Amino acid sequence: MSDKLYIPPVLQIICENTSKWGNPLGLASKDCAVWASGLQIPNKGKTILYTGCEYQMTSRIQSLVEVLKRVKFEDTAFAVFKGLQSVAGRFGVDSMKIFTRAGGGDSKTYDRILRMSALTLRRLEVDFSYLDGELYSGALLYEYGLFEEFGKQAERVVNQLKAEGVMKIIALTPHSAEIFQQVYPQFIDNFDFEVSPYVCTVAEALKKAGMELSLPKPLTLTLHDPCRLARALKVTEEPREVLQAIRNLDLREVASNKGSTICCGAPCKTIYPELSELVASKRVEELLATGAEAAVTLCPFCYSNLTGKALTVVDFIEIVYQALGAEDVGA
Amino acid sequence: MSEPKRIFQKYYTELLHAIHDRDVSLGLSRSISANRQRRAQVMQRFPNTAELANEVRRLREESVDRLDELVQTASASLQENGAKVYYAKSADDALRIIGEIVGSGKVVVSGKTLAGEEVGLRHYLEGLGNEFWETDIAQFIQQLREEKPMHYVFPSLHVTREEVAKLLTELLGREIPPDIPVEVRTIRDFLRSKYFKADVGLSGCNVLAADTGSIFLIENEGNIRMSTNVPPVHIALVGIEKIARTLDDAFKVAQVIWRYAGFAAPLYVSIISGPSGTADIENILVQGSSGPLELHVILLDNGRSTLAKDPILKEALYCIKCGACLFECPIFQMTAGYYGGRAYFGGVGSILTAYMGSGLEEAVPIAYTCLRCELCTDVCPVSIDTSKLIAELRHRIVNKARN
Repeated sequence: MSDKLYIPPVLQIICENTSKWGNPLGLASKDCAVWASGLQIPNKGKTILYTGCEYQMTSRIQSLVEVLKRVKFEDTAFAVFKGLQSVAGRFGVDSMKIFTRAGGGDSKTYDRILRMSALTLRRLEVDFSYLDGELYSGALLYEYGLFEEFGKQAERVVNQLKAEGVMKIIALTPHSAEIFQQVYPQFIDNFDFEVSPYVCTVAEALKKAGMELSLPKPLTLTLHDPCRLARALKVTEEPREVLQAIRNLDLREVASNKGSTICCGAPCKTIYPELSELVASKRVEELLATGAEAAVTLCPFCYSNLTGKALTVVDFIEIVYQALGAEDVGA
Repeated sequence: MSEPKRIFQKYYTELLHAIHDRDVSLGLSRSISANRQRRAQVMQRFPNTAELANEVRRLREESVDRLDELVQTASASLQENGAKVYYAKSADDALRIIGEIVGSGKVVVSGKTLAGEEVGLRHYLEGLGNEFWETDIAQFIQQLREEKPMHYVFPSLHVTREEVAKLLTELLGREIPPDIPVEVRTIRDFLRSKYFKADVGLSGCNVLAADTGSIFLIENEGNIRMSTNVPPVHIALVGIEKIARTLDDAFKVAQVIWRYAGFAAPLYVSIISGPSGTADIENILVQGSSGPLELHVILLDNGRSTLAKDPILKEALYCIKCGACLFECPIFQMTAGYYGGRAYFGGVGSILTAYMGSGLEEAVPIAYTCLRCELCTDVCPVSIDTSKLIAELRHRIVNKARN
């Protein structure tokens, strides 16, 4: 075969953006940190809350998908790297405009969730900081097989963590927890940071604090276990421990749960958006069949991909924050 | 448009077609729940199955690590039993060898063989001027529809009784009603008229025991027994990764295959070690008795020995093609075999497609379909770590694309 292999265009976009901006969707680092403004989280310390920019990116993925739908099967020789903005420009789309539009309502939601995640930790008396100019873990680079770029990104991340004197990472998202725990050690010699998925930190701190958790009114929830959390990291009990301890919360298990959970469809969203949509719809049907009022999940990509259908989706962070009786996040 | 891009686009188009095809989704939903139920019942009836599967994982690791040695042992055993053994380095070699044995103007009946799909055996033999009949009912339907299989165990799961009636009416030139028992009886009668005319019977192999040279063939329809026993010549096409060290090991692998495929006991298991023979007259051994006069075994490499030496991707060769993962895969549940190459499906199938003949360009769109959700690993009897393999395959794809 003399022709070059054809690679889905999204690979080039995330490659370019990660090397230029430090994250796959080309967010400026100040945009990633917007959520933390006014919270006075220390930017140096041994333990960090690591967002991996994932919640921040989530609201923009749909715009990326829209752009990608236009570039489908356009010539994209691998050697010619094009950033999302230039690709978008070629197809008559003002990428900044779509970003702003799509980012409007959505990014506020995600910023609120991020604020709640930090305020919850504070409330539970967990010491933590949030790094200035936090870098993306590179999870997508690994996932798409861009190992070279991933290795470089991992090195940059580790250098930053070391420079800031970090010892422990509270990984807010399952993807980043997995990538730190299971993949970094394959790429980085002596990767010896302690990594705790956010839900585990919360479960542990709650036990220690012995705090009463209660929702203002009764709510039935079903739990959508994210694949990366339930299967890759085998964390299935901690979310249940926390949720079941909340008064006024009735947890109804979906048939395919824990280690048998079913994917939300997000992973193929940027390559086969139609498939992603259908996988999500099927999962939504299963979650709705529990009769619960809403589904709770613990991953921004699951949250985003399951949202917008007949099902109300909430983040674990929102539920815990509310159950702690905390006031408005002020975002 | 470049060839690899055309391949990608064609695959994408077919996927989109599949997700909107009502027959595909209806066939799938029926098969998925039936298979799940059957599998659960089997596991309940044979609670040692998971433990047996763990042992089979170790056996598969051993087989793949000792592939060259097992090929030698199996060849020697089969020859000792009176079989003729050939080593086919590539798909073309396999076709050439089989083509020379069969010749032209013959009638060929074939039991289900994935390796046959892999090398494109039917089209090749038809091209040489032979009359070729698939005898597995699902593959027979697939042959009439001129399409690729949709699943390892249930290749025509998306075809309705109405469609089968239409195909049979067309084939036979008389009205066949959309009544499943009538359809099955019609196919039975048709195929029985072929077995006894056939010059050659073809088969694949589920497991091959190296120490005794015994080919295991698992089935329910009886078509494999007919195809491998009635015609005077039996040709078995065997992927070399199917070899187990001993007959005992082969039994373990075979049991795990049928249990994870959802069968407590398949209706037939044939164990064929050579052509028929007798020593009933004066204890003088004569080859050829009631069964076939000749057994030809083609050991197919076609990338397997290279894959077996790959420190990471060799795990894909542990697959025993029970198909349990496919029915659980969220993508496969909507697309069936369109999520796959010409013979192998799903995440693991993308690696087999890449390294067993079809090439990386065929595997690219399949590899990037996988969600890496790991549900397949959860149900896989040999716990293949698809998520890891897919990341690695994508890495190889990216590297090749850049060089």
